[in-house]
Amino acid sequence: MIIRKISHFLCNYENIMPLFAGACTLLFIAGFLFLPIQYTDNQLYPKTIDRNSSLDPYDRGGPPFTQVTIAAQYMENSPAAGLVTSYLTPFSLYLSRTTPHMGTTIVAHPGGIIDEILYNTRGLDTVVEATILFIAFAIASYIYRKV
Amino acid sequence: MASIGGIPSYILEFGDELVYFTPYTITLFLLALTFTVLVIISRPERQVDIAFGGDAYRAKEISLSEMRFRRFMAIACGLASMGAMVTGDIFNFTLFTAMVGITNVGIVAAVKSPHVQDAAYQYGLVALSATVPLFAGAAVYAAATGSLSMIELMKGTLPAVPLIAKAMLVIGVVGEGMAPFYAAKAEMFRAPGAPYVIMCSLSSLLIFLRVVEVVLLG
Repeated sequence: MIIRKISHFLCNYENIMPLFAGACTLLFIAGFLFLPIQYTDNQLYPKTIDRNSSLDPYDRGGPPFTQVTIAAQYMENSPAAGLVTSYLTPFSLYLSRTTPHMGTTIVAHPGGIIDEILYNTRGLDTVVEATILFIAFAIASYIYRKV
Repeated sequence: MASIGGIPSYILEFGDELVYFTPYTITLFLLALTFTVLVIISRPERQVDIAFGGDAYRAKEISLSEMRFRRFMAIACGLASMGAMVTGDIFNFTLFTAMVGITNVGIVAAVKSPHVQDAAYQYGLVALSATVPLFAGAAVYAAATGSLSMIELMKGTLPAVPLIAKAMLVIGVVGEGMAPFYAAKAEMFRAPGAPYVIMCSLSSLLIFLRVVEVVLLG
């Protein structure tokens, strides 16, 4: 009898979203009960943020042509990590000296800053993220053209 | 170093993200690969509606462009499932899971039926919301253990993963297309075009089997 009532409730797909929202709410309430959650200080990719740097938030320090040490999980797999922000093209160097927010451009111009964490150590994530965006765009454009 | 899936026989390195093959993950990977190949080479069905209590029936007209688009989405779903089966990184796994969710929506959203599109919309909302606990789970994994690598979690040298992180990961995966939120997807099956709709079901099953292994790691 109860199962029939539950099934009847679930067969209306408009009830699915409120049900999922309820489940998430319960989970997050349970999460508060689990507080405090342990925190490990020994984190990957630590960095100090210098808000005054024009390369913020991608400034990992280091003089030009000198590799900065990055605490990656498998250092041996990313030999080029730490070299990216220590090298700027002449155009990027010019922009960093004339604008206060060069760091926000990332790869928006030739020679722009490439975040070494994203593009060296976690490159596969970048590929999947871009693919998700592409898929979403493909669905939206197909539906838009069809209507 | 062994997980419930067995000892990794081959590890492929992508920087900090490792792709590893254990007997368990390679089985799931091959299943996803086989079905993706089937999707590529097979001709889709033509759905026939039969009037109850009579002899009348009619075949639904499906445009070629619609089928092409749905095949594209089914292939993308298969590739995302394959990635999720073998990835050795928690965050990468959540990304592949989110991709499976969105491609599932794409498989059915192309169908010219208001009822199916309504169901796809509702399911899309659930899949969208599910990314919150999914990525939050990965974040808590990173905060609590200091690592996202499943290989490191396997070794047992890291701090234990909090139960809440595992629960978040599971509810995120469930929201991407498992029961009881599967009900919206059941409505989607009114959409014609096997084997594309079957890919929705298979990908959810594979993701669920993988998340079981993932939560037992740390």
